[in-house]
Amino acid sequence: MAASIAYVGGHLQYGVNFCMGQSYKQAIWVPSVTFNGCLQRELSWSCGVSKFLQIRKCNLFRSRTNENWKSFGTVITSAYLRDGSTKYFDFAVVGSGVAGLRYALEVAKHGSVAIITKAEPHESNTNYAQGGVSAVLCPSDSVESHMQDTIVAGAYLCDEESVKVVCTEGPDRIRELIAMGASFDHGDDGNLHLAREGGHSHHRIVHAADMTGREIERALLEAVVNDPNISVFKHHFAIDLLTSQDGSDTVCHGIDALNTETQEVVRFISKVTLLASGGAGHIYPSTTNPLVATGDGMAMAHRAQAVISNMEFVQFHPTALADEGLPIKPKKTRENSFLITEAVRGDGGILYNLSMERFMPLYDGRAELAPRDVVARSIDDQLKKRNEKYVLLDISHKPREKILSHFPNIANECLQHGLDITQQPIPVVPAAHYMCGGVRAGLQGETNVHGLYVAGEVACTGLHGANRLASNSLLEALVFARRAVQPSINHMKSSSLDLSASSLWTRPLVPKSLGSDVMHKILRITREVRKELQSIMWKYVGIVRSTSRLQEAEQKIGKLEAKWETYLFEHGWQQTMVALEACEMRNLFCCAKLVVSSALARHESRGLHYMTDFPHLEESKRLPTVIFPSSHTTGTWSSRQLHQQPIVKSMV
Amino acid sequence: MAKTSLSRLFASLSEHSIAKPSFTGSRSESVTRSAYNSVTRFVCSSAQETHLIREERSNEGDREAAKENLESVNKEEDEGEDGDHVNKETGEVGGPKGPEPTRYGDWERNGRCSDF
Repeated sequence: MAASIAYVGGHLQYGVNFCMGQSYKQAIWVPSVTFNGCLQRELSWSCGVSKFLQIRKCNLFRSRTNENWKSFGTVITSAYLRDGSTKYFDFAVVGSGVAGLRYALEVAKHGSVAIITKAEPHESNTNYAQGGVSAVLCPSDSVESHMQDTIVAGAYLCDEESVKVVCTEGPDRIRELIAMGASFDHGDDGNLHLAREGGHSHHRIVHAADMTGREIERALLEAVVNDPNISVFKHHFAIDLLTSQDGSDTVCHGIDALNTETQEVVRFISKVTLLASGGAGHIYPSTTNPLVATGDGMAMAHRAQAVISNMEFVQFHPTALADEGLPIKPKKTRENSFLITEAVRGDGGILYNLSMERFMPLYDGRAELAPRDVVARSIDDQLKKRNEKYVLLDISHKPREKILSHFPNIANECLQHGLDITQQPIPVVPAAHYMCGGVRAGLQGETNVHGLYVAGEVACTGLHGANRLASNSLLEALVFARRAVQPSINHMKSSSLDLSASSLWTRPLVPKSLGSDVMHKILRITREVRKELQSIMWKYVGIVRSTSRLQEAEQKIGKLEAKWETYLFEHGWQQTMVALEACEMRNLFCCAKLVVSSALARHESRGLHYMTDFPHLEESKRLPTVIFPSSHTTGTWSSRQLHQQPIVKSMV
Repeated sequence: MAKTSLSRLFASLSEHSIAKPSFTGSRSESVTRSAYNSVTRFVCSSAQETHLIREERSNEGDREAAKENLESVNKEEDEGEDGDHVNKETGEVGGPKGPEPTRYGDWERNGRCSDF
């Protein structure tokens, strides 16, 4: 692995410089260079351990006396060059889920906004978040209690400051959503109806019937569409961030995107960029995430020298409907998994392996009623030990009427595929659902790349720690999107749009010159390689992990990536060429490697990360896993930005 | 209070201390997942005792809530003034019909889970 990983701990008072290609056991600290007029900001992750990471962050623009560095205000300029178009915005947002839209609506009051989204705007993980959003909205509830529940769920790996901020500011964010027109269920007393989900010690889940995410998305999209300062660029796939080096600092100037409908590259130059691109569920074969979740933001940020954190904490749901076990297979591969509720087990459902052996009692005295993560590990263990593709969840011994009245959705779905759940067991397999880790963010959503902010699932704010508490993800997105607003505005006001900046980076190239035959071959291979990567991830980087299996994953992924890249370049593919499937593939490789590296670095079991060779919690390891950017001199196509990084003349 | 909860913890450990298969490749002693969770949290600093107790309590609370909600499954449900469905048990207006979606901790509708 070219990336270096640090298991960060202790009291580190020095500034940080990026650790290039060093061993992943120790971070090497180099005192940073200080500039005049330097502002010191802390990306502090207290976690019960004193601030161990200090990044000296300079507001370079304030220190300049050169009159060229004046703000141009809110002018949108669009320059059409012979080789494609460049657009200029004050703010660029990648992703149109709750985090992206919420942020856009606020910053639009101060400047022009481009929302870049790879499919239709509503196509995001947010839209599928049908449960609810958690917040302290009941007098008998308390921020303290919400914090406590979050920290317990997170296996004590949460950043306490992040938790405090989210739990404290959550209620206001909900109220704002309501003011924006989101319609949540209420009681007949007129108050918001609050449900209580697992892990919460109070009723605090606000919801809109059973489509909360969709309702929030709807309300926000409506506001966005009506906002004259916001331009939505749908079917624009973000390729790489446009960055430059200013001494030891990396600065973000915008983003390149591919209009997948017209096959044209569009370059966005922006003073501020927010990544709100969501998760990376599709590194696994079975996931609840829609197809768009290919970890684009995490990969782009890593390539742009942003620090990544806690990627080993991938949340799986134990019992997704396993299409392989259905008598009539779905004609099309199911895009996002159908999760079978815990209620099936709660109502008496029994888990069997394919030899019809009931296995849960072997793992836990509570059998099928054991906590979900125990069930997930048990199923994973059975599948790996027996080399099978799914297990069986049997509710057929219960009265037919009860089954059909409680679980009509499952009954219908299965019946359509030839399975009667009142007579036969349901085939189930764990599905990847949420990434707790991501681009490391401070309390304002800031990253170590100047002008780059993150919010939502793409970010690692320290809220979730080693495991996400139910309904906290929409909340995190809302709170951090809002928090990133003021720093973004400040940054925007003190920077200027350099209209000549656009030519600093080589423009991505659409592979027209390859011809359709070659493109078909490349597409076909890429699809196979994607499936192969997913298969490796599930087999070697699943729920129950071990050092040897992770190392095997590392080997296999490395070989697979090399094989794929060789194929591409042998067929005339060039470094700067872009196509949707190829770019997604390089992002998937990038994220997969980040997950494997992080998993290898954590020598304990905590929350979602379970290692058979380190099966216990280690108090001394109660720290985030941090991945520093890799050196540019080594690395694969997936780990390098497409363009060259220019060196900006230092103003010091 | 703490003492009672801790002894409850030990009781549950002893119930489960029969031989269990270890996960693939594990060389550690066979401990059930639940017991291991409890044990390892217990050996962490004592400041976390209250967390342990709260978790135990909230787990029990969940089970009780699930039982309560199960009983409401067969309750009849009214139509409210605007034709919105009103849940007799909770007073929720326009909410999901049928059993409480969170009765087993996750968010489910008609069998399909969407949050957990």
